[in-house]
Amino acid sequence: MDEEIRRAAGIILGAPLTRRTGRELLYCGLSGVAGALGFALLLALLALGLSISASVLGTVIGLLLLTLALRVSRRIGSLHRRLSNRVLGQHVEAPPPFQPGTGILGRLDRRLRDRAAWRGVWYSLIKLPVAAVQLYAVTLTVFGVADLAYPAGWLLFHHSPGPGPSPMTAVIPLPFGGTFHVDSWLGTFLVAAGGAVCVVAAAWLARGINAADYAVARSLLGPRTMAERVSELERTRTLAVEDSAAALRRVERDLHDGAQMRLAALAMNLGMAREKLDDDDDATVRELIDAAHRNAVDALADLRDLARGIHPPVLDNGLASALATLAASSAIPVTVAADIGPRPAPAIETIAYFCAAELLANATKHSYANQITIRICTERTGLLRLEVGDDGIGGADATRGDGLAGLAQRVSTVDGRIDVSSPPGGPTAVLVELPLEP
Amino acid sequence: MRVVIAEDAALLREGLIRLLQDRGHAVCAAVSDGDALLAAVAEHHPDVAVVDIRMPPTHTDEGLRAALALRQWHPGTGVLVFSQYIETSYSAQLLEGGAAGVGYLLKDRVANVAEFAAALQRVADGGTALDPEVVSQLFRASRQRGGLSTLTPRERQVLALMAEGRSNAGIAAELVVSGGAVEKHVASIFSKLGLPPGESDNRRVLAVLRYLGPAT
Repeated sequence: MDEEIRRAAGIILGAPLTRRTGRELLYCGLSGVAGALGFALLLALLALGLSISASVLGTVIGLLLLTLALRVSRRIGSLHRRLSNRVLGQHVEAPPPFQPGTGILGRLDRRLRDRAAWRGVWYSLIKLPVAAVQLYAVTLTVFGVADLAYPAGWLLFHHSPGPGPSPMTAVIPLPFGGTFHVDSWLGTFLVAAGGAVCVVAAAWLARGINAADYAVARSLLGPRTMAERVSELERTRTLAVEDSAAALRRVERDLHDGAQMRLAALAMNLGMAREKLDDDDDATVRELIDAAHRNAVDALADLRDLARGIHPPVLDNGLASALATLAASSAIPVTVAADIGPRPAPAIETIAYFCAAELLANATKHSYANQITIRICTERTGLLRLEVGDDGIGGADATRGDGLAGLAQRVSTVDGRIDVSSPPGGPTAVLVELPLEP
Repeated sequence: MRVVIAEDAALLREGLIRLLQDRGHAVCAAVSDGDALLAAVAEHHPDVAVVDIRMPPTHTDEGLRAALALRQWHPGTGVLVFSQYIETSYSAQLLEGGAAGVGYLLKDRVANVAEFAAALQRVADGGTALDPEVVSQLFRASRQRGGLSTLTPRERQVLALMAEGRSNAGIAAELVVSGGAVEKHVASIFSKLGLPPGESDNRRVLAVLRYLGPAT
């Protein structure tokens, strides 16, 4: 028991001598100053911005000041995160980077709705009392060290000739304040003892306030709120969907301008070579060129199917054209009715097209239908509706078979939905709903 | 015959020039986009223009739009559109104003040099050259409306070749039958479809297309 008490006392009293306390105090000083300055700067910008915005003329300047304040807020946040990381080794994750919108209004709108920046403002406001305590801890340490040095000071200066501090005056830190007069050497040890208490108290105060600061920084400067996280995920998912659509388009274009074009030229040259061969030329050469020519033509056809599967070029002209071409190549008669108002995003068009193609292929393979209908329309609510129906035997099951399950997966990447109605005996009707923008 | 070529891929463009010059045709100009094509046709008044559909700047359907403009402003110049893909909506637009002096072929067809040259000649002469894929798409569209059911399989074959723009002799050679047999089939087709037998190849194609109706 005694052992433990002694150890605890050792830890508590020895705290000021550890390197950690040095770092904590350094952080208190830097972060306290930065916090106080940041508070003053932001408060000035915000107050000025808001008060100027109140008048019509000042609105523009006021808004500019506000956006400036929010930019500064992000900078301050990053400064505090860096300080915490460098000095204390406590990592605070950065919020998502600012996403500038397009156009002046777009940029302004994004800036004013930049949640990370606003939370940074909150941090700076809360930081003021925190910074005060941090700076107090630093002062306490300075005073404490000065008081600790008192006995030595007495010996060095008090008895020296000339006017010395007699009696010596000790500084007493807030909240007690005031001065304390000492007129004997023994008395200085009392001051030194007070200094020691200050130094120990300052060490623990620094640790405590820094822990609190870290907690505040983590919640306001670091990991986002759930809503922010969700909107961030939505944004990146949209980017991913659009990216992959654009990448497929690029692949198709590269194939078209590269391999397909070269193969066509090759086939043409082989065709010309074949014509130049006379009947009396070597029969094996003729056969070889014939075979090469056939291969080139077949490869061209294969490549065309492949490229079309990657991204049908006619989609560039809109869904209606693409579906008409799709319908024209179907083995079962297809009627297409399209009523598309505002054009959906390319990624959505691609998904809708491949849904239609897959459903058409399914119907052709399994339905024994005589007639397939494709209806596609945009709704005012911002939805693209695709209906594919047939008069076949029904029995399609969304939970079985890769085709429909794959479609459901594809549709769900943009929060679309798919609804399959296919009772045994038919008819089958599949409804796909997609947002106009991913 | 005098030809203008619009194709943005240099390799194919040079190949086409050589192919045509080998056969004694004159290539007045070889350009790589739609505007240059219109300018070249206005300058040279060629018999026929060979037009790639996908060209700069957008690489979508510049060639088609240039071809439609040619059809409107230079009806004397035949237009052979060729592309890596056959799109129903493109064939519909091309055939909207009639099938005279129109061709629409897959790029693959240049591999068969003789057939390609013959098709180009037909278009230059005011005839028609449609890719078998175009024809089969038109047939499907037409079958969906019903109407071809009365034809025998052989007659459908003959009708398909007619739709591609072949003459009776060409059809006879393709099917390896006598010219008389082809004439009999053609007459039978016309009577079954209720069309008056036409004199020229072109009127035949027009009649066939009017019956099939460009798919839309």
